[in-house]
Amino acid sequence: MQEAARQIMDALDVETFFVCSCEAEGRNLMTGLLKSWGFRDVDIVYARHEGPGTRVRGRAYIHRPSDAYGWLQSGVAQGEGK
Amino acid sequence: MKKVLLAPLDPVHDIGLKMMARGLEAAGHTTILLPPDLLLEEIISRAVEDKVDTILVSRTLGYGVAELLARFIDMADAAGLRQTARIGIGGMAIRPELAAELGFDAGFGPGTSVAEVICFVEEREYAPNREASLKQKFDICQGYDYRYRHAGIERQVKRVTGMIREWVTGRTSPGIMRAELRHAGWDAAKWREGSVDEYFTRQYAALCGEIPRNFYGQGELHPKTRRVTPGEVRDLEAYLATVRPQTPVRSVRHTGKRPLVFNQYGTGCPFMDIGHILASEAWGVDGVVHFDPSWGARTEGFLDGFLTHQEDGTVLTPANLDRIRAGIHAATLWQVRAHRGLNTPETVVLAGKLGADLTKINFCYGMLGAGTDPERMVVDGCAAVGYAAAYNLPFDIVTNEELCGVPAHKAFAGMLIVADLALELGAKPILQPLFAYSPEVMINGWMADNYIDFNVAKVQALRQILNAPLWPGAPIGFLTHTEDRVQSAITTALHASLAASLQVDAISIASADEAYSGGPITAAARIDTLQAVQEGFRFFGTAGIEPTAQAGVWAQQLVEGIEQVLTAVAERGDFIQAVYDGLLGSTQEGAYPGRIGRGTVIGC
Repeated sequence: MQEAARQIMDALDVETFFVCSCEAEGRNLMTGLLKSWGFRDVDIVYARHEGPGTRVRGRAYIHRPSDAYGWLQSGVAQGEGK
Repeated sequence: MKKVLLAPLDPVHDIGLKMMARGLEAAGHTTILLPPDLLLEEIISRAVEDKVDTILVSRTLGYGVAELLARFIDMADAAGLRQTARIGIGGMAIRPELAAELGFDAGFGPGTSVAEVICFVEEREYAPNREASLKQKFDICQGYDYRYRHAGIERQVKRVTGMIREWVTGRTSPGIMRAELRHAGWDAAKWREGSVDEYFTRQYAALCGEIPRNFYGQGELHPKTRRVTPGEVRDLEAYLATVRPQTPVRSVRHTGKRPLVFNQYGTGCPFMDIGHILASEAWGVDGVVHFDPSWGARTEGFLDGFLTHQEDGTVLTPANLDRIRAGIHAATLWQVRAHRGLNTPETVVLAGKLGADLTKINFCYGMLGAGTDPERMVVDGCAAVGYAAAYNLPFDIVTNEELCGVPAHKAFAGMLIVADLALELGAKPILQPLFAYSPEVMINGWMADNYIDFNVAKVQALRQILNAPLWPGAPIGFLTHTEDRVQSAITTALHASLAASLQVDAISIASADEAYSGGPITAAARIDTLQAVQEGFRFFGTAGIEPTAQAGVWAQQLVEGIEQVLTAVAERGDFIQAVYDGLLGSTQEGAYPGRIGRGTVIGC
């Protein structure tokens, strides 16, 4: 996971449909899921609850502008991250 | 010449193989195309019988695919075919990694070209013909003679621009003095070689505000920025050396030459910007627009060096601009916006010296929607237009004051004033009406039925007035986007298709993150929208989108409104007073004459 994350240009988006009772629950489920994977800089980009659940897109920023980018470090662009 | 057996492993699907067979025949190979729904044994037996050099099988259906292919390979092995023939597998259900795992010599997934398969058959390495897909830069303004088509508006707008030119004569500002110094006293070639011109730096710093002055005097950085490290610079160079040659430069355009498609960058970091630009180019953008942070427009003067920060907009410094330019492909148009703040004329000079293709100037928006003092904005704006002419930089005149609530006809009157001034000074203006769900439209319910008619009306109105290039923006579909990336990409694609239908010259598009305010725009969000726009262009081709009769009615009203506004401004006899009087947008409508730079105009 860590090696792959280095090669993410900026953020990892995760989309799904949670079976849940309201939008807040759907948001919490997504945030919790991303944090359980070890991501700290997480947010909900989009969430909408209808009927049986919430359509949600969560985001974990791996590299924000001005960070030290894993993909820019020596070797990664040449395929050494594989 | 090779003998190739092609066999579908599906009950019915064989369209892909038919296309491949046709391509292989055209390349001089002999093909044997078997019908669908044969037993594996029958295919193997035919391959042995015909002593083929290559076997190409396809599979579209996904269920049981791994088991089926494994059995096929085992049977080919048992028949001794693996020693005499190369075996490839393709189709919608195929992933190259699965093919390799099962022992196929090649796996061709969705999107495979005939050329790739021919290379496999001929045992050559596939190298995409990048040259064939290379775009050529072309002049957006080409083919326009800038003749007025509306005598009444021409008469009124020339009264206004004559008044403005008379007013700015003898006036200057710190921004203009910096631009003059940058224009006459700064040698970009020597600066690139690392030569420090202390005389220029001293003179320049004296014309700057506190932050740049402290930067040049004491080496203090703007508190929100940091310098990029030498190690990061080396890594960027290595990254570009590797990635740039591998990056195809495609176009999202389909059959039409227009509109050119631009997106904006300005992540806050020039290196992240380069990453996003490369991704955008690979997915078909024609041009990119540099966005600087809002504080840059309120600061007298520029800093220098590779500066990065975690805020919207990438800091305008010569080093940042020059590095970004070097990362942009030669076929990609590069626009540096200059339209709204205290550095407007110097931004044009920098853009010109560092190789930009286009800039962006609208002093009416700058003073009514972007916070700059009207007197300062007009005197600086006129100088900026002059430099745009001197550096041969066409510029768009964005009418973002509409987003503040200014009615379109007033924003367009301002745009035409700037355009006419540009023509008087020998520059090449590009009209930029918003394709937007603007406050005016919302309040009046003009888009209650569709997003087409009022946008079409804008284009029709401008075409009735002046024969000039049109570049709707910025971005198209403004205020129609939501945080749902599918909706966001679709609304952009539909607005882009409308623009194509209207045969305008260029468009600026948003990313699918347009309505998301929780963090920076991602590269994936840019790609999503480019993909959607490409699909929109593919869908409509040269077929058009038909507006209702209402578009023509609104177009006529816009033309009449523009003429009335220009007449009123001309009759006021004082352009600055006309601005304060709300003739180009009143405070009730949401236009507020700015205060930044007040009292800094020198002369008369």
